[in-house]
Amino acid sequence: MRILVIEDDRATADYVAKGLTEEGFVVDVARTGKDGLFLALNEPFDVIVTDRMLPGPDGLSIVRAIRASNIGTPVLMLTALGDVDRKVEGLEAGADDYLAKPFAFAELRARVRALARRPAAPPAEQTALEVGDIRMDLLHRIATRRGRTLDLLPTEWRLLEFMMRNPGVVLTRTMLLEKVWDFSFDPTTNVVDVHVSRLRRKLEGPGEPPAIRTVRGAGYVLEPRAAPA
Amino acid sequence: MIRRSFALRAALGAAGLMLLASLLGAGWVWYAAEQELRAQRDLALAAEAEALIREYEILGVAGLAEQARAVARRQGPILVLLQTIDGIPIAGNFPGVRPPVLRGFATFPGGTADAGVRALGTMLPPGMNLILAAELAPISRAATRLAWAPAFAAGCAAIIALLLGYVAARRIERRIAGVGAAARAIMDGDLTRRLPQAGEGDEFDRLAGTLNTMLGRIEALMQAQRQVTDDIAHDLRTPLARLRQRIESALASARDPDGDAATLEESLTELDQVLATFAALLRIARAESGAPRAGFRPIDLSGLVGAVAEAYEAVAEEAGRTLSQDIAPGIGMDGDAALLRQAVANLLDNALVHGGPHVGLRLAPGPVIEVTDDGPGIPPEEREAVTRRFHRLDASRNTPGTGLGLALVAATAKLHGGRFEVLDGPGGRGATMRLTLGGR
Repeated sequence: MRILVIEDDRATADYVAKGLTEEGFVVDVARTGKDGLFLALNEPFDVIVTDRMLPGPDGLSIVRAIRASNIGTPVLMLTALGDVDRKVEGLEAGADDYLAKPFAFAELRARVRALARRPAAPPAEQTALEVGDIRMDLLHRIATRRGRTLDLLPTEWRLLEFMMRNPGVVLTRTMLLEKVWDFSFDPTTNVVDVHVSRLRRKLEGPGEPPAIRTVRGAGYVLEPRAAPA
Repeated sequence: MIRRSFALRAALGAAGLMLLASLLGAGWVWYAAEQELRAQRDLALAAEAEALIREYEILGVAGLAEQARAVARRQGPILVLLQTIDGIPIAGNFPGVRPPVLRGFATFPGGTADAGVRALGTMLPPGMNLILAAELAPISRAATRLAWAPAFAAGCAAIIALLLGYVAARRIERRIAGVGAAARAIMDGDLTRRLPQAGEGDEFDRLAGTLNTMLGRIEALMQAQRQVTDDIAHDLRTPLARLRQRIESALASARDPDGDAATLEESLTELDQVLATFAALLRIARAESGAPRAGFRPIDLSGLVGAVAEAYEAVAEEAGRTLSQDIAPGIGMDGDAALLRQAVANLLDNALVHGGPHVGLRLAPGPVIEVTDDGPGIPPEEREAVTRRFHRLDASRNTPGTGLGLALVAATAKLHGGRFEVLDGPGGRGATMRLTLGGR
């Protein structure tokens, strides 16, 4: 997996590159928008992580330029604290995800992994999802595990669908809040944990192996292994 | 002053134009009146000549001469001269002029003030020449007198225009000086200063009113900015100082892998809390600045509130509480979905953390969003204060939260042209948080 990091702040760039390298990624770092854009346009990457504010072309311009060149590489945009409210602008330019600095490395890692394993087919064209022994029929809105129909509330459906699209990837609470509930803030109450535990109870019938694993201090993973029947 | 005053320049221009127009008008009046008076004079000469010729036809030359002498004696405006065709005068005379034998109309030079003399000559059969004449000076005088009238009127009007212009210029100058003084005071830092208004409701007052509204807005923004700075100084300094002490004392003591790891972990948690507070402050400041208004979009408010309610229903149940919902369908408005979602979530968070076993959520047309609880409630004297940043009731010091949740709700209400109120709970127990949005 090859990742391009475009970041002008040396400390942040080193921190991100070191962390991602330790995770087993091959990391290229560009320190200016110009170098970053050149690399992004001329070499293949699995994920591009770019700062929004850069010398030379900024993050928004880079995303627009590579999208204009029909390069579909997933882009994670980093932004200064407080700019989160303007994330719509970044997403409209063609970025796939957005993360405010400063961030926990676990958050960045989770998001990069989620982007890196994104399927080539646009999600809208999929009619069914299957992970291990769990199946979701998106057309008829029926979810089953081992043939047993799961009675899911709308929120639980969205939560499971998002997890099914990212099997084996640690999904942080912030990611779930953003993607499932559209919450761009951290509520005081444990909204995510409550819903995950309810979904878990519905997924895991008596004697069935756990489907959702808790990663301490990070988030949740939907186990991709096909459980032994 | 003329160069620097628009009103005075305008008045001067108007006066000049008036004078020019009056001169042209006077010239035209003079010309037209003179033409008309000359024509009248010619008619009068012809009538007199006709009368004398009739005398001659009845009484002959002697009678005509007698009549001519009588006319001359009258010393009226009409002069008469009867002479032979050889130029020998017989009766009457023209003082100072000796006209030649004349047939038809002619104008001679001379007469009073050298204005000329108009004459009509007629040949009579026995070698006689009858000439009637009148001075042109009175005609000129009358025409001049007539032409003076419009010129005089225009002159008066021009002077009045100048005076009015001067008065207007002085008044405008005074009012602008007042505005300038206020503006300089504001530039010097007195943001509470406003532009003076004369209370006449004229265009100046209206302009000053608009500018004052703008100044009020700027003052509010500056105050909000200052408030954020103060809040950051006040509420972030404490945890940052604590953080610094912890790291410093850990650094000073002997290295101990387990202890150091614990210190780092604690520090990271505390730092994350500081960052969360910081982000919340920035968000409130942004909402208060009014900037998100530019990005307002139509929102299905019923759907938005319903989705948040669904997320919190489970939370309430897990905590052994109930969340009852009464959400009117089909309510929409223009707004910032992210902020409204967070406002509703904050209200529910607040009710679940501080309230009693039962929490109610209501969305009614207005749109009005109400969150009720049957907890301890908020004392009336604290109700306004809880919507301020970092204000927390003594009873809730040890419950989680940044103390910014309701401040964000209040900022969101204001951003959407509405208001946020804290009231008694239903039946006098607990609290009601009412978010009224200025929906269209």
